[in-house]
Amino acid sequence: MLGYQNNVLRVDLSKKEAKTEPLRMDWAEKYIGSKGLSIKYLYEELKPGTDPLSPENKLIFMTGPMTGTNVPCTGKLAITGKSPATGTICDCSMGGHASLKIKYAGYDAIIFEGKMDKPCYLLIEDDKVSFEDAADLWGKGSHEAETILVEKYGHEASVISIGPAGENLCVMSCINSDYYRQAGRGGMGAVMGSKNLKAVVVIGNGGVKIPNCVEAAKRIADIEVENTLLEDNTFVFDGGTTAFLEACQDGGILPKLNFSDTTDEEWTKYNGEVLLQSLEGKRGCGSCGLGCGNFLKMGDVVCEGPEYESIAVAGPNAGNTDPVAIVKANQVADNMGLDTISAGDTIIWAMEMTEKGIHDFGIRFGEMDKYISYLEDMATGKGPGAELALGVKKLSEKYGGTDFAMHSKGLEFPQYEPRGSWGMSLAYAVSDRGACHMRAYAPNEEVFAASIPPYTPEGKGEMVFNLAQWNAVKFSLCVCDFWATLDMALMAELMTLVTGRDWTEAEMGEVGTRVINIARAFNQREGFDAKHDTVPKRLFNEALKNGPAAGQKIPEEAFEDMKQQYYAVLGWDKNGMLPESLLATL
Amino acid sequence: MKRLKFTKSKCIGCQLCAQVCSATHEGMYIPSKARIGIETYYDKGTSLKYKDSFCTLCGICAKNCPLDAITAGDKIEVNMDICNGCGVCATKCPKKVIKIFDEKAHICDTCNGDPMCVKVCPQGALRFE
Repeated sequence: MLGYQNNVLRVDLSKKEAKTEPLRMDWAEKYIGSKGLSIKYLYEELKPGTDPLSPENKLIFMTGPMTGTNVPCTGKLAITGKSPATGTICDCSMGGHASLKIKYAGYDAIIFEGKMDKPCYLLIEDDKVSFEDAADLWGKGSHEAETILVEKYGHEASVISIGPAGENLCVMSCINSDYYRQAGRGGMGAVMGSKNLKAVVVIGNGGVKIPNCVEAAKRIADIEVENTLLEDNTFVFDGGTTAFLEACQDGGILPKLNFSDTTDEEWTKYNGEVLLQSLEGKRGCGSCGLGCGNFLKMGDVVCEGPEYESIAVAGPNAGNTDPVAIVKANQVADNMGLDTISAGDTIIWAMEMTEKGIHDFGIRFGEMDKYISYLEDMATGKGPGAELALGVKKLSEKYGGTDFAMHSKGLEFPQYEPRGSWGMSLAYAVSDRGACHMRAYAPNEEVFAASIPPYTPEGKGEMVFNLAQWNAVKFSLCVCDFWATLDMALMAELMTLVTGRDWTEAEMGEVGTRVINIARAFNQREGFDAKHDTVPKRLFNEALKNGPAAGQKIPEEAFEDMKQQYYAVLGWDKNGMLPESLLATL
Repeated sequence: MKRLKFTKSKCIGCQLCAQVCSATHEGMYIPSKARIGIETYYDKGTSLKYKDSFCTLCGICAKNCPLDAITAGDKIEVNMDICNGCGVCATKCPKKVIKIFDEKAHICDTCNGDPMCVKVCPQGALRFE
């Protein structure tokens, strides 16, 4: 199949050796690229029970067959490893330009193994690979490190780096690129840090071949105009994900005060209209057609973002209405190399713990100066907020407050309140990497489009499966979430154009299901089953007080019903396990 | 005469222009050989900068070609039988958009009046008018 470089860079950090090998095209036939193919590699290569922060864990940067072509919205890079936050598989989808540079440098993927004896960064200039000393970069913020490396190698170079959080093995550390694009969730920054790998610099001057390139590029350009640049997608250019704030407020799923309630009367103090008054420019990823990034300047505070997640967690969920504090928190978290969602959720849980008098973490709702200084403490491991780097699961096991420790499998909740969108509780519980909104976006069906009633378990297994299958194949094609009108038929056409092999709509669905299954199989092998597919008791026991979903809580039996529906759709047993017959198909 | 025009405030830095340019002229996606080079990047993470390298049909390349291999009109044409890739045109090009490889100069030909870069530019930052 064309579209691929048929070339993997395997980097043994312990020996400081980098070698190339052919891509497993037999695996690419079944898993395509990005999410699916990187999980397949880890499933085959990682021993069960591997400590995520040991040299034996692997970190994979995986592109897809469309990376580097003019298929819109394909600037994503899958970054995959075993998560130190959850112990599950964890694949992240990072934007920016790094994915294209890796492909143009001649590689489909980079696989990192082992651990270096001292901090270094990897320099890739097409087929030249070298290990460079990073002593002067270690301890620096991700942004400072990127600036130093860009000044050295030019802005044509893509830099992928970690901040102090990753160096200090914080389980909520992210990997950054292009300053403001992250592989945010599940502690992939710590996996990189555990290998003493501060950064990867990529300069790619080569190209990507597809069949009948001239005609195919023109057909793809037509698809961009006919399908990508439709209003259903282009709204993200106008306001980026700030638009979700209004949608979640109106739908009653905007969380408030550590998910104790929803909706905020003061939401217009920090909404998109307010934030975009400070807009300096718009930015998208490589090959993007939409340009969701808002680059803001508020005095000395600058940030691309904040995205909806970062607004909600540092806004209503923290008892804050100051937009500058929201942007500042985002900027600090990015530079420190922290996931804004998990770090924010842990701080707001600590706020509630203090307010309730269960344990005094020295921080209360609305105290944004402390919120921001605690982020630095969590990343550096020093100061009053340092312990919060453990995340809500471990902290609540130590101090109490488990009922309102908002996580699944140790990954903190994104900012969509499930009591107003019951399918989201299922999506969080069964997601392959813990609570995640990128695996099955239930609010779209239950709240925004309102095509499926939100406060019932009925049909939710199938709904969440359909959403998860769609995303699993999209992310395996390396396509961005925001190309919302991309259906399976069009995916098949694009795959056919790019690879030269005929793909069918049905095959796209099969790939999606297979990717869900192999991620589950990975976790199953690590000891996960139905008892780990959980959400905190707050969702079962406490009814919402305000907003359109007021009065709602999720009966525990309804939640269990949804889980069983989902397992049944996938052919898993009642304990959520894949039977041998399915395992044999992977 | 129609020319390429660029509005930086609309550019999102996607580089679809260079991708499709190289795909349709070189038969592969290779932006390093594209006849357009529009990029955005963050300077120190604190300001957004733009690189706007595109052909304005100024004709300076044609005037300076020592072999008279280049003609400039509604589009730039390079006579590949004459061009020896000396690179004078690339040096003189005020937009630094001419690529020298395979011992030839490669210059924007406006896709014969229907530029693909304009077609794929998702936010209308590039126009041909």
